[in-house]
Amino acid sequence: MKLFTASNIKKSFGKNCVLRDISLEIEKGEVVSIIGPSGSGKTTFLRCAAMLETPDSGVLEYDGVTGFDNGYKIDKKSFIEARSKFGMVFQNFNLFPHFSVMRNLTDAPACVRKIPAKELELQAKGLLEKMGLGGRENAYPCELSGGQQQRVAIARALMNQPEILFFDEPTSALDPELTLEILKVIRALAAENMTMVIVTHELEFAKEVSDRIIFMADGVIVEEGRADELIDDPKNERTRAFISGFKK
Amino acid sequence: MCFLPLAAVNADKFLPMVKQLLSGLGVSAVIFFLTLLFALPLGLLIASGRRSKWAAVRWFFQLFISVMRGTPLMLQLFIWYFCPFYLFDIPLSDLAFCGIEYRYSAVIIGFSLNYAAYFSEIYRAGIEAIPRGQYEAAFVLGYSKSQTFFRIILPQVIKRIIPPVTNEVITLVKDTSLAFSLSVLEMFTVARQIASAETTMMPFIIAGVFYYIFNFLVAGFMAFIEKRLAYYKG
Ligand SMILES: Nc1ncnc2c1ncn2[C@@H]1O[C@H](COP(=O)(O)OP(=O)(O)OP(=O)(O)O)[C@@H](O)[C@H]1O
Ligand SMILES: [Mg+2]
Repeated sequence: MKLFTASNIKKSFGKNCVLRDISLEIEKGEVVSIIGPSGSGKTTFLRCAAMLETPDSGVLEYDGVTGFDNGYKIDKKSFIEARSKFGMVFQNFNLFPHFSVMRNLTDAPACVRKIPAKELELQAKGLLEKMGLGGRENAYPCELSGGQQQRVAIARALMNQPEILFFDEPTSALDPELTLEILKVIRALAAENMTMVIVTHELEFAKEVSDRIIFMADGVIVEEGRADELIDDPKNERTRAFISGFKK
Repeated sequence: MCFLPLAAVNADKFLPMVKQLLSGLGVSAVIFFLTLLFALPLGLLIASGRRSKWAAVRWFFQLFISVMRGTPLMLQLFIWYFCPFYLFDIPLSDLAFCGIEYRYSAVIIGFSLNYAAYFSEIYRAGIEAIPRGQYEAAFVLGYSKSQTFFRIILPQVIKRIIPPVTNEVITLVKDTSLAFSLSVLEMFTVARQIASAETTMMPFIIAGVFYYIFNFLVAGFMAFIEKRLAYYKG
């Protein structure tokens, strides 16, 4: 079953054409990593997918709900429904600093979906426990390490029970030791069949956690394939150059 | 030399003087609180107009702010006071509001608009200092635009703007004395009247002490709020 489809996505910033016709399908339960050189458009693509950026053309579909269709007006209801299908984890967490950890998790569902506080707190406690953050409910983000903040951000995204999670370099703002914590969490989510799209510079991690890897350069998908095959035996010249550059 | 007029004040004149000044202080305090009551929310409105997506609206508010900040407050008070008469031929006596002379309303209008302009620039700087990631996180979590502003952005803005707002508020306490120009009976006007009637500078000294105490309390209150908001960094 397709959970997310991007068809012929194009996006320019002024004269700078950043995405030239990107098409991508994500199956339910699939973990897909996007790798590629700096400036290749990975973040821009993910931001389009997360509706934070509007493509110039193309179609975005989320679990059968259209979120973008070549700039035609999407009615508000489907827009909101499409948005509720995914969660996003940012490079620099973007936690709400004035909310406690608990409130970071519960405020949005309480305020957007009007779910009773008791229920949300129970759900949040369970998630935090799972993220290894049991007992930190009343801490404020500034009192947590980067790795802990990122785990709170993942838990916050999961509170809305999204079908698919987008990650933009979830570990690149973290020290290597802290990176490990996040990788563990992502691996655990993968084991629970969570659908995830991860932009990353960590090839080893991408290889280990994903089913499929996409190599992007200059706004196009140059090559995609099974994770181990693409990393260990890339077919395309540019992919090979990129990966061997990393292994050095 | 200057102690001569001080010495001339004896005890049975001192108490009535303090009493009169206190009633003036009451008027000053009313101007102060009403100005804040109107200017703080109005500033937010102006700040959002200043950030409007329509250029004409942006320019209008930019011009408004620049005029409010670029001309003397005392002159603005005169304009608000006299413009109904000179521009619209309305006798000022017709404009009494609940039995209160129009001069009082003019003072409140003048102060509120002037301070709203200053506050709006503080709000704007505060709003622009909030990282874009906060809006994006809120968007992805499904918050509406107004929920994002009032639940996520504004609370963080308030924490950041407490120090510059404190400065303005302290200035406002002192600026209330400008209302003397419209002969509003606030503390400074009263002090001047007593001083010239009794030929003493005692009322100015007492008024100075009162202004100082007023500001001392205001600064203390703002410090209290700042402390209350110190539960997080950022
Ligand atoms: N908001 C924007 N306005 C103008 N240009 C932008 C904007 N966002 C991205 N770009 C440009 O788009 C191109 C692709 O950027 P993008 O951030 O998508 O690359 P990336 O693959 O994520 O790179 P990195 O690996 O460094 O994160 C860059 O040339 C960048 O300058
Ligand atoms: Mg990027």
